[in-house]
Amino acid sequence: MKRIVLLNKILALLLCAVVAHAQSISGTVSSEAEGPLPGVSVAFKGTTLGTITDIDGKFSLEAPSAEAILVFSAIGFDTKEMNIGNKTSFDILLEVDNKVLNEVVVTALGISREKKSLGFSQQEISGAALTEARSNNVVNGLSGKVAGVRIGSNGGPGSGSYIQIRGASSVSGNNEPLIVVNGVPMQQSNDKQYGGGISEINPDNIKDVSILKGPNAAALYGSRAANGVILITTKDGSSTKGLGIQYNANFTAERPFVKPEFQNQYGGGNGYRTWYADGWSGVIQPDAYDQYSAAYGGINPGNTTATAGTDESWGAPLDGRLTRQWWTGTDVAPLSPQPNNWEEYWETGTSLTNSIALSGGNESGNFRLAYSRLDQKGISAFNDYKRDNVTFGSSYNLNKWLKATYNGDYIKTSGNRNYQDGRQFVWAHRHISWDRLQDYASYEDVHVQRARDGRLADTDPPNWQHTFFTNPFFTNEFLPTTNDKDRLLGNLTLNAKITDELSLLLRSGTDLWTDTRINVTNFERVRNGNQTPGRYREEVLRRQENNHDFLLTYDTMFNKDFAFVGQVGGAQRTNFYKRNYTNVNELVVDGIYNLSNANPSQNTAESTIEKSEVQSLYGSFQFGYKDAIFLDLTARNDWSSTLPTNNNSYFYPSASVSAVLSDLVNISGPVLSFAKVRASWAQVGNDAAPYQLSQTFRAEGSWDGSVPQYYENIELANAFLKPEITTGVEIGADLRFFKSKLALDVTYYDQTTKNQILGVEISKASGYDSRILNAGKINNKGVEVTLGGTVLSSSSGFKWDVSLNYAKNQNKVLELAEGLDTYTLQTRRGLASIATIGQPYGTLFGIGFQKSPDGQIIHANGLPQVDGTPQALGNIQPDWTGGFLNTFTFKGVSLTTLIDGRFGGDFYDEGTATGRWTGQYAETAIGREEGVIGKGVQNIGTAESPQYVPNDVIVAGNQYYGYNSPRRYHEAAIYDGTYIKLREVSLGYSLPSKLLSKAKIQNAKISLVGRNVLLLFSNTTHIDPEVDRYGGNSQGFAYGELPSSRSMGVNLSLGF
Amino acid sequence: MKLNNKILVSILAGVLLISSNACTDGFEELNTDPNNPTAIGSQYILPFAIEKSVDRYWGGSARFERLNLDGAMLWVQYLARNIYSNEGDSYGISPAFYNNTWESLYDDGLTNFERIIKLSDPESASPNTNFEGIAMVMKAWTYSLLTDLYGAVPYSQAVSGAAVEPVYTPSYDNMESIYAGILADLKLANQKLSLDGPDVSGDILYNGDILKWKKFANSLTLRLANRQAAKKPAESKAIMAEILGSPDTYPIFSGNEDNAMLIHTATRPSNNTWNEVMVVGGRTDWNISKTFADLLNDTSDPRIAAIATEVNGGYSGVPNGLPDAIATTYLASSSTLAGRFSAADAPSVIMTVSELNFILAEAVLDGDISGDADAYFKKGLEASFDYYGLTMPADFIESLGTLDRETVLTQKWVSLFGQGVESWTEYRRTGYPKMPSADPRSIFENDGMIPTRLPYPTTEYSLNKASLDGGIAINGGVDNMQTKLWWAE
Repeated sequence: MKRIVLLNKILALLLCAVVAHAQSISGTVSSEAEGPLPGVSVAFKGTTLGTITDIDGKFSLEAPSAEAILVFSAIGFDTKEMNIGNKTSFDILLEVDNKVLNEVVVTALGISREKKSLGFSQQEISGAALTEARSNNVVNGLSGKVAGVRIGSNGGPGSGSYIQIRGASSVSGNNEPLIVVNGVPMQQSNDKQYGGGISEINPDNIKDVSILKGPNAAALYGSRAANGVILITTKDGSSTKGLGIQYNANFTAERPFVKPEFQNQYGGGNGYRTWYADGWSGVIQPDAYDQYSAAYGGINPGNTTATAGTDESWGAPLDGRLTRQWWTGTDVAPLSPQPNNWEEYWETGTSLTNSIALSGGNESGNFRLAYSRLDQKGISAFNDYKRDNVTFGSSYNLNKWLKATYNGDYIKTSGNRNYQDGRQFVWAHRHISWDRLQDYASYEDVHVQRARDGRLADTDPPNWQHTFFTNPFFTNEFLPTTNDKDRLLGNLTLNAKITDELSLLLRSGTDLWTDTRINVTNFERVRNGNQTPGRYREEVLRRQENNHDFLLTYDTMFNKDFAFVGQVGGAQRTNFYKRNYTNVNELVVDGIYNLSNANPSQNTAESTIEKSEVQSLYGSFQFGYKDAIFLDLTARNDWSSTLPTNNNSYFYPSASVSAVLSDLVNISGPVLSFAKVRASWAQVGNDAAPYQLSQTFRAEGSWDGSVPQYYENIELANAFLKPEITTGVEIGADLRFFKSKLALDVTYYDQTTKNQILGVEISKASGYDSRILNAGKINNKGVEVTLGGTVLSSSSGFKWDVSLNYAKNQNKVLELAEGLDTYTLQTRRGLASIATIGQPYGTLFGIGFQKSPDGQIIHANGLPQVDGTPQALGNIQPDWTGGFLNTFTFKGVSLTTLIDGRFGGDFYDEGTATGRWTGQYAETAIGREEGVIGKGVQNIGTAESPQYVPNDVIVAGNQYYGYNSPRRYHEAAIYDGTYIKLREVSLGYSLPSKLLSKAKIQNAKISLVGRNVLLLFSNTTHIDPEVDRYGGNSQGFAYGELPSSRSMGVNLSLGF
Repeated sequence: MKLNNKILVSILAGVLLISSNACTDGFEELNTDPNNPTAIGSQYILPFAIEKSVDRYWGGSARFERLNLDGAMLWVQYLARNIYSNEGDSYGISPAFYNNTWESLYDDGLTNFERIIKLSDPESASPNTNFEGIAMVMKAWTYSLLTDLYGAVPYSQAVSGAAVEPVYTPSYDNMESIYAGILADLKLANQKLSLDGPDVSGDILYNGDILKWKKFANSLTLRLANRQAAKKPAESKAIMAEILGSPDTYPIFSGNEDNAMLIHTATRPSNNTWNEVMVVGGRTDWNISKTFADLLNDTSDPRIAAIATEVNGGYSGVPNGLPDAIATTYLASSSTLAGRFSAADAPSVIMTVSELNFILAEAVLDGDISGDADAYFKKGLEASFDYYGLTMPADFIESLGTLDRETVLTQKWVSLFGQGVESWTEYRRTGYPKMPSADPRSIFENDGMIPTRLPYPTTEYSLNKASLDGGIAINGGVDNMQTKLWWAE
């Protein structure tokens, strides 16, 4: 360390030697409370020359001239300026900054601003808060920490997450925020299987994340910022003095979070029988007659069938009776419960991340070079994910006025993401041991398979049945879904300081990726006497987004009181997408996945190209008065290639004001220490997807592989599209109490998106499915509250900080297309999630049961009666969401806990309902043999004058539980999505610096971390209610998803 | 560097960067779809539209929306479920069933048939009366399916979403006027179809054989005229007389080689939908219905060997509507479908010469046409046996007793095996065959009544309510599966 300091000094001296009239100065910086302060920036005002104080708070450098002014700054302290004059030695005492709000935040276009000057709501999360209790997808770490931000994640390796800030503003389009990395947009994907975008960022590279919530904060990013912006700033070398090395290691292990409550009394099968013959429901053969009779007391030769073809659990009691099972061959074995087969099925997932960063900086520039490697194994066998990030960032002062910066991240990801659902426990035999099934190869010779007369004998890998399922361990290993993706995200920036007031930024950035996905869908086999060849799909994707922009900034003070910052800029964005897809339906030689190894007549191919471009000009003007009143005005005009030429230009302005009342009028006292109010109004325009202006014909395969087929697109194009516009109003207050120990931030917003470009569903009898229209008007209004403060701070060094956040969003559909009062967001099994005028978006609309006037289900003959007319059964929107963060610190030890929750909001879970229908869950064991009486009423009057009395008719258990079928009785599958979770826990220990300095280590911290630690409250059984299948505008659906997982691990970070 | 130079260089660089591309002139070209054409020949649309509508009619491969396998084939008691009897066999169906059948017949079928008519009409750039005629025949058949399934449906205003004056909420027409429209279209189609006319390609049904298309148009006319004969006797008689009176102008099916059926191929997805469901998808949920097996056993009908598999030395079926616990016990102990129906290249049958002769036999008995009912009946049976590669036993007709309407319609039902939808329609019209009383262990929804129609799609409730209400009123006031349709006798 000392050597590095020395090296740096020599370097500084050498550099200074070339500066004429140099004057040596030195000194010490300290504070009353903390003594000598290391790491304080010491710079000459208006230049980039400067240094940082060493560990003893000492500094020394060469002054360019006696007129120069020294600026001392450090986070948490007031900045101090000092004229040099003839002095050569300085003892500087820095005052603790009480106005915490002097914190500087990064806002739109990467402009650093004092937080107190903002007229809109913005929340910051430091990189450290995301790296410790880490998720491999950075964005999952925002869950519960930021008011109004909802994250939908799932447990698959390398998976994407769905992000939504405030409510959904677009009925059909994208409701996700824009992701901006170092000023350049990154293409984001919430794809659960393949992830993409923010999930590919290495958390260790992140300096901080800034969330601009509404359109107000984001007007300057244009179209795609209508749903907010997540600004990511990566670390650079600027705060490193000399050479720094940072190493971080993180290891976590994960297991499924919520285990369904299974029944363990009855096995797989039907009619209280469990018998494996050949994996299908074939007739039991004579060689098994004696065995079968012994188990079930008789057989009807030639008629009694086996039960493996039924993938449900209405079988024999698990009482140890001797039955044939898939692994016993022609022998029998006791039928016994497998209460732990859930645990057997899932692997312990692991993630190991190693990151190392090398950074350095001096007066002329800085650099940071980082490499990180993530190796992840999923909770399902043979699923994995690997991510390599090679990141380089550097900026260099070419001369006194010109600075060049480069940031680049090369990301390589790959893995097998085959297993996406947990349906093995929805359609299942409860008596199955998955440990044994994983060991299927040992049973190849014992396992009995179907061999029908005159047909080929089956060759499937051993499994508990063959009718519907293939052994998942075999599939995961030999029918993988793999991808190989290369991504380059980078930008080049030139900053020119033309005068002290005027500067110009030129920037060019790209986000380019290419992904090759190979999905093996079949292997050569005989199944039910039918031979099928090996099959696979190969998909090659390429996407590129280029952004070129310039920004001219004029920053001045008119006199002591008036500050002005004016900016004008322009940008050009181009997007390119290409997809090539080939489905090889017949491999010549199985196991070789190459397009030339195919019977070409059986191939199908698809290809898509998309190109679009947006050009923009914009300006931003900020006025400050006495550093207490701020006015911001912005304006932007976009020209988009996806809109009709006569309508492709759209303009949108914004305005915001903020006033720091506590500075203006003397209202601060012992209780209130700071008060700021803010208000803003903004518009954001949005364009369409490409190629929606003219009616086209679409290719779809061919007849017999030889006659090409086309059809008319059933979405009606629209040559008269207009841009859509979101208008938002936001007011808020930022209040600090008790010497800023308690902070309250309240925001109210009201935003409306109109002229939405929708594919509006129309009557199918019109011949078409939907029309592209400017329709729809959706309003979101809500409240966000953040309350934070220090509860306890003792002189012994113990500190307890608390942060609470609350968000409530009310969403309402105001208008749709003319003559249309409903828009369908997603349909499954006839259940639709719809947007209806006057109601919040996402009403679940489907088939329910008939109800008595007091709301009880009406039964007839003991069975629930279906109401044939579809009705509203729930809504996906939560009532409110919130988080509760506690941080305890004592000397080097810190403990952080985060509890978050969602209250209200329904979801349609086919998995849980189907598991009931198929007899998997504990409640279906009740009354199986005695019969059950459904809860509800029956009508003993007439249809005209009904008389309802409690239902008292006993029906067979499986018949009654069949009324959970989500495919016919949607109401039975609608559940409440409320949950409260202990989302994160981390316990960290920073090693004392005295200890470390001997080992030449600057800092070291070790933490024990946990994510999804406990489900504290839920209104549903069997599943984590945070489940979601589709994301986007199709939230609220689930069907046997890959279970979410609980992860525990350890994080080690070392700085040299 | 002087200040001025700095400004100059910086601005120059900025201007260069932006202006090098800053021009929106190329936007229109940029936004021209490079993937999908805005114009295409009829020969590429025809195979799609035929395949989609025939597949939907014959099977539908998605579970819960298989018109034939989850509905018609069960309701006319050709097949019975050995598991999941609440998926159709107990008369309950999912919304996906009636929503997606409707959507596919309109949007995959009719939209493209209408497009071909527009692309090939005399005013168009590429007039082709044969394409026009073929599309009109297919359009007529598709509408007949729709109205026979649902009752009143959008017809006169339907499929006009892309018209110059578009209609997005088409009103419903009554069945009587739809039948009149279809019959007029078929007549016009027969006129347009010309053996001397231009060639057509992409015809996966008849491979461009225009004579066969004419035969199909006229045979279909006879089917529909016969169907409405009790409600519109004079018009129907006139239509039948015109066709049968001038066979040169109005050729009709004369042998099984004329049958309207789509012969599938082994190349997916051109394979038969039953193959897709039962072989590719591995579903074994169906057995032969007890009703069907019993009747063929009683009449010693050799066709059962061609339709069902032999079990324990004979043929037996599963009663319809049994709860799963009972139904599953029949799984492998009763006959299942013979392999010919689940072969990849099995045909999807729209109309056969056998059916035509049963129609004519019934028309003679009803007094709608003159002729020899016995001869037509015999021809119908012979054609059916011939279809399965069998010869009718000499005493078979005799063993059926005297020829009456019930015998004709019962044997028509046997001969229509596989054509569940047509058979169900004829059952709803005539009440034949007389179905045996239900198995006491069976459980039915719909008050135990064999469905009389399909409910309207839930999408019509949300997207076309006012028109839908009109349609429901035309049918008789309620939208359920118990309302009798117009042609019911």
